[in-house]
Amino acid sequence: MTRYAEYLLPVVVVVVGLVLLAGCRGPVESTQLVVDTDSCLGCGECVEVCPYGAIEIIDGDAVIDPSLCHFCYRCVEQCPEGAIY
Amino acid sequence: MNIVTLLLAVLPLTAAGSALDGWLDAATGGDSLSPGMGVIEGGGMLRGDLWNLTVQGKYVVTDTTEITRKFLDEYSVIDVNFKVREGATIVNPDLVWIMDFNEKTPKMVLPDQGGMAFRHGYYRPGLGLETAFVENFRLNMRGLYWNLAAEHEDGSDLGWTGFMLDGRITWDSPWNTSFQAGAVTRKSAINKTGYAKTWNRYDVGVSLHPGGMPRNMYLTGGVTYSVYDGRDFLQRDIPDRLIARIRLMQMGVLPSVTAGTSFESVFDFDGNEIRMACTALEAGLIWKFMKKARVPSTAILSGKLTRSAIRTQTARLFTRVHVFRGLSVLAQARARISPTYVAGAGPYRKSYVAGPGLEYRFGNKIRIWGIIEHERTNLTGNENWWRIKSGLELYPGTVSF
Repeated sequence: MTRYAEYLLPVVVVVVGLVLLAGCRGPVESTQLVVDTDSCLGCGECVEVCPYGAIEIIDGDAVIDPSLCHFCYRCVEQCPEGAIY
Repeated sequence: MNIVTLLLAVLPLTAAGSALDGWLDAATGGDSLSPGMGVIEGGGMLRGDLWNLTVQGKYVVTDTTEITRKFLDEYSVIDVNFKVREGATIVNPDLVWIMDFNEKTPKMVLPDQGGMAFRHGYYRPGLGLETAFVENFRLNMRGLYWNLAAEHEDGSDLGWTGFMLDGRITWDSPWNTSFQAGAVTRKSAINKTGYAKTWNRYDVGVSLHPGGMPRNMYLTGGVTYSVYDGRDFLQRDIPDRLIARIRLMQMGVLPSVTAGTSFESVFDFDGNEIRMACTALEAGLIWKFMKKARVPSTAILSGKLTRSAIRTQTARLFTRVHVFRGLSVLAQARARISPTYVAGAGPYRKSYVAGPGLEYRFGNKIRIWGIIEHERTNLTGNENWWRIKSGLELYPGTVSF
């Protein structure tokens, strides 16, 4: 059983992910950007392009202030790791 | 006795039984549009049995391509971080100091139509506390204070300050599950424009790290529900949010190959409406070969898809192949679709970056590398750039006193 799980589990995660991606109504009126802290390197390139002072590097991760963010997506375009979306 | 003599007498006593680690990274590069970009980063950590002091500095000159306009283009960051442990408690005072060197370039857009401002830097002192209780309970608390040195476009001082308090309790249960509850409050105020805004967030979450998985398979997951009390820049209530994440890593899926998958889904609760706000799927393969060589060779292939108010798609390939002694050949390629801010370029841009490089390692102490890249991006027309990047990383090792 575990032998099958070794190969099935990654496939299940990818398939479920693809199904949810396809089912997502995007683009939607998202209310906040998300920072994937596993991917974020804390390089600060998002801070360099944010004209609203909405992003801080705290403990090595980008943190976006939802009250200051204006959804200009400059940080999304700039992030070298694709960690903001 | 003057202060220097006193310090010279006291410092060796404090440092006795301690160790010093230091590091230095430097990277530079350029292309036809941004010839002088570079980053120099260095730091050191002095540590004793129950304490450590880390000092890090970074000096950055960004590119000036105007592809995505840089608000900060020349600045430095200094971070002084001290941690002291007493039993199960860690106290962590910290100071971050940022200086902007290009006086009139860092132009900020002030909230609530407050006009424009020029930032000259800021300092951010903070204090953290971490402690453990009985039955695997942990408490983390931190306070941060911001004071921006910024000048309004009319020449007057802005008086921009900020404050954040963050607290979280975690219980590591005996069932491979952790439960968290926490709260964050954040306040920003600008005296010049009368702007003052506070928002709060209350989180409850559960993290799973199940044991008993099949051989060489690691699975982590988590769900966090956050209740917001505050308004965004359009004075709308910030909706509550549910974030679910799952990450799966499997080593040896094929000989010397590790596979990783992560998936994240975000739901917003906005009044009576529930909507899927963001979804992301990432998958990657890491193949390590020629493992007995001085530098193991690696090939990494990964891809990521995201969808929210915008969509992004990224595919990446990176290889390092050992050639001789510390010399390796590098190759990288990246294809990406992302939103773009460039006027007239349409909502999305496609960029393709590829190029070879060389790396030399002198043991674990020094790494020197250089990469030549070609980038092709469709903006208002197809743009092509050649870019050269190089870097030096130095880790001299640990000195014990």
